[in-house]
Amino acid sequence: MKRETIRSPRAGRPGIAWALPAVLFFFLFAAAPMGIVGYLSFTDWDGLSDPSWTGLDNWSRLWNDDGMRNAIWLSLLLTALSWLTQTPVVLLLGVWAAGRQRNRAVLSAIFFLPLLASSVALALLWRTIFDPNLGLAADIADWFDLDNADLLGSSTGAFAAILFVSGWQFAPFHMLIYQGGARQIPQSLYDAASIDGAGTVRQFFHVTLPQLRNTIVTSTVLMVVGALTYFDVVLILTRGGPGDATAIVPYLMYETGFRAFDLGYASAVAAALVIVATGTSLLLVRLTGFNRMRSTREGM
Amino acid sequence: MRSPNLRPRLRVLAVSAACAVAATTLAACGSDGPGGSSDRLEVWVYQDGSTTIQEDFVERFNETSDIQVNLTQIPGENYQDRMRTAMGSPNAPDIFFNWGGGSIADFVEEDMLIDLTDTLADDPEFGDAFIPSILDAGAIDGRHYGVPMRGVQPVILFYNQTLFDEAGVEPPASLDDLFSLVDTFVERDITPAVLAGADPWTELMWLEYLLDRQGGAEIFDRIRNGDSSAWGEPAVLAAAQNAVDLVEAGAFGNNFRSVSYTTDGASTFFAQGEAAMHLMGSWEFANQLSNQPEFAESDLAWATFPAIEGGTGDPAALVGNPTNYWSVNANVEGEKLDAAVEFLKLHASEDYASALIANGDIPTTANAESLLDEAPTPEYARFQYEMVRNAPSFTLSWDQALPADQSTPMIDNIEKLFSGQLSAEQFVEAMLNL
Amino acid sequence: MSTETDLRPELARDTPPAPPVRGRRPFRLPKANYPAGIGAFVWLVIVIVPLYILVASTLQSRQEYLDNGPLSLPDSISFDSYRQVLEGDFPRYLLNTLIVTASCTALVLTLAVTVSYSIVRTRSRLSQRAFQLFLLGLAIPSQAVIIPIYLIITELSLYDTLLAIILPTAAFSLPVSVLILVGTMRDISEELYESMALDGARSVRVLFQLVIPMSRAGISTAGVFSALSAWNGFLFPLILTQSRETRVLTLGLYDFVGEFRVDIPALLAAVVLSIVPIFTAYLFARRQLINGLMGVGGK
Repeated sequence: MKRETIRSPRAGRPGIAWALPAVLFFFLFAAAPMGIVGYLSFTDWDGLSDPSWTGLDNWSRLWNDDGMRNAIWLSLLLTALSWLTQTPVVLLLGVWAAGRQRNRAVLSAIFFLPLLASSVALALLWRTIFDPNLGLAADIADWFDLDNADLLGSSTGAFAAILFVSGWQFAPFHMLIYQGGARQIPQSLYDAASIDGAGTVRQFFHVTLPQLRNTIVTSTVLMVVGALTYFDVVLILTRGGPGDATAIVPYLMYETGFRAFDLGYASAVAAALVIVATGTSLLLVRLTGFNRMRSTREGM
Repeated sequence: MRSPNLRPRLRVLAVSAACAVAATTLAACGSDGPGGSSDRLEVWVYQDGSTTIQEDFVERFNETSDIQVNLTQIPGENYQDRMRTAMGSPNAPDIFFNWGGGSIADFVEEDMLIDLTDTLADDPEFGDAFIPSILDAGAIDGRHYGVPMRGVQPVILFYNQTLFDEAGVEPPASLDDLFSLVDTFVERDITPAVLAGADPWTELMWLEYLLDRQGGAEIFDRIRNGDSSAWGEPAVLAAAQNAVDLVEAGAFGNNFRSVSYTTDGASTFFAQGEAAMHLMGSWEFANQLSNQPEFAESDLAWATFPAIEGGTGDPAALVGNPTNYWSVNANVEGEKLDAAVEFLKLHASEDYASALIANGDIPTTANAESLLDEAPTPEYARFQYEMVRNAPSFTLSWDQALPADQSTPMIDNIEKLFSGQLSAEQFVEAMLNL
Repeated sequence: MSTETDLRPELARDTPPAPPVRGRRPFRLPKANYPAGIGAFVWLVIVIVPLYILVASTLQSRQEYLDNGPLSLPDSISFDSYRQVLEGDFPRYLLNTLIVTASCTALVLTLAVTVSYSIVRTRSRLSQRAFQLFLLGLAIPSQAVIIPIYLIITELSLYDTLLAIILPTAAFSLPVSVLILVGTMRDISEELYESMALDGARSVRVLFQLVIPMSRAGISTAGVFSALSAWNGFLFPLILTQSRETRVLTLGLYDFVGEFRVDIPALLAAVVLSIVPIFTAYLFARRQLINGLMGVGGK
């Protein structure tokens, strides 16, 4: 806004009314609901009758609820493991894709494909593949003579499946971010490193990685927020199961709200989700100064 | 973006056109929603192999009625959840498919359903058409909110006759028999009983029968009537332990936790001769008949669930869904209500019973017995009919009998019991703490 | 107006993996990067196998699939699965999704362009407050507010209508779109506004003759972003619609599981058909699509 304070021609400035429709619309369908969630979290509501005020009941229940603790733990675990497993892969592939190898364009285009499908479509595909009797899982168990192919039936297996599918789905997106970041690195830095006698590996650690610092932050924030709000695939692939092995916070919220119809308590879970999600992203933003970059999209 | 030379004026046009489109579509879909029109009856049904009968009878009804019925079919495992979500909105269906009991208890409590007790009593042709015990199974506090609209659906122990013959064994008469069958088939590298653990209600069927045989139908009756301390009965622990023992003995194979029923994973596996038994609702027969007719005709056999030595339950008792019901939304009134009642009466007719029979179902009307010979497999029809007629009790599936806020965590706990996350003792404790 | 010359840097700046900014040479590794190359190959297998299964399964009959398993090549190619899907409700679901996508995009663009214009040009603290509102809105996950949205939609009697999907989906696309557009519009130079002002142009004319033409890169990014979120949205349709008349593709796919059951070729054919429109768009407008997707991730 700095520029505009210099001189101002008479005509051509829109009034504040121009902002109203969007603000009102956004307020009604996004901002006000946040307030309503807060209110509902203090009520008992089954969706049929009117909500009745129950004070802090839901919140004290939430605090002591093993299911909720489990869900928060799983969400944080999913977030951390997503980051740990995806980042090295997409960093490497993104940097590679930024280069000029033969076939690079074709391969990048193929890598990109999972990003074109909706989560629902992908979850259905993976559900077919993981079917222990009819899917690829059955074949793999046959080849390696495993005694069962029950990947989605074991707690760790189902969790690993969610972790893998989310990675498979979003890796291309993060690859693109790193590809974009790597392309911004000035060639002169590499030339200088070459003159110093640095090999590929040293160049990667001493030039590429430090230069991608902002890109790593961008990708990390997006990964964290994505993992904390992962839902569609969990619903279709595991339904939070077996037991509650994959019942992460958004799924727990859905199940409590739209399966058990305990909408008051589900609102408390939702409010907790907002607190955890915004808290985490604000923390990351503070720690890394991401907000300053955001406005200029530097590093993307 | 190859040519930066795009004509700005064209863009302006495009944007304004888009806005115009938006405005008109928004206006159009606002008035287009189902439930918005007042001269139609919105009828919702769970979509499965029997839905064609509903389509057929809706069409017949619409030929003669001024008020048209619009049938919405909702497939998939979460019909119940979605129906409940819709009932909380002003666009709720006028008539909807349900399982009676807990599946409608919340609606009854909020006076959202029409009490059909008097309507049934006033018209003997309507009220007396149904087998009383089935009609009563869907009642709440002695009042009728539902009219039976599907066949009876007891849970039956299906088995593969060929595999049993090859192994030289008979269907189990007792739990001990069942365990020795498990050993026999495990040795032969055949899954003793296929179980679709990805749909935990199939695991529920085992537990329902085990508890029924261990302690009789009274225990769940108490739970259903709000006495949750009945979960602490020794029979519940014994039944849960039986379930755990079966899992550990390999009764369900190694893969059962991710096999799904709603996608026919279990049924296909069973029909391929990979599993010897399948505990499933009676609809499984019709399902196999349409998907794997060869298997259904030559290998598929059926039996009652075995007794348990030392258990106090009657081995003739049944669990399952007595039937499905139509319930009417209390918003329906005047001429629409008259039409709705007419529509319900259609389901008491002999035509409707015949259609069910032809589909392999056993109607819940009193005249069913006379129609049994018209069934595609009269033998199976008669077995089912006798089974239901002789049963001292017919326990409604627990997940349908209990209100949603109890059945959801119950199902979760059962899933954990079968997947080894909870021991039998921990399961009992978890259920007591609900 | 000489828009052509000013547009180039504009474009490059706003398209993340776009052709390199003028003056910088493309990044080039001095030697072949073997570890990454091997990694790329492994990843290729991981991506290709499921996609192969996806396509190959749809070309078999149901029985063939059950007999031969997912990896087998079809004995004879059959398009029956596709025919089955297309003869069913698929076209209706597709139409619903198209309506939802078009309306959402139009709504988002209309609102985002006007509000961004005001945020950039209105000299009022309120317009900055509006910008902050949208920035905060970026942090709201849509799952967290689904319960109140259900409440609002039922209060408005919109439950089970396409509007029930369009309105909240559009609302949740607004923050990112506003962010993109404000970024783009801030780069329009003051001189251009002044020359418009000399002509005596009012704000509406400025919007249509200067701001919109100069922001079209941002508009197309925001448009693609909101179109994609509408196209792929699942939670809002799942909770807010029920009947066949209002079913969109994603919910339709989910319901096909119950409908086609073990007919995996048909189920996967529906999955393939749901991807085809986006894939086609990808072939024709790769850059815009990628930008839009980056926006989706930014959500």
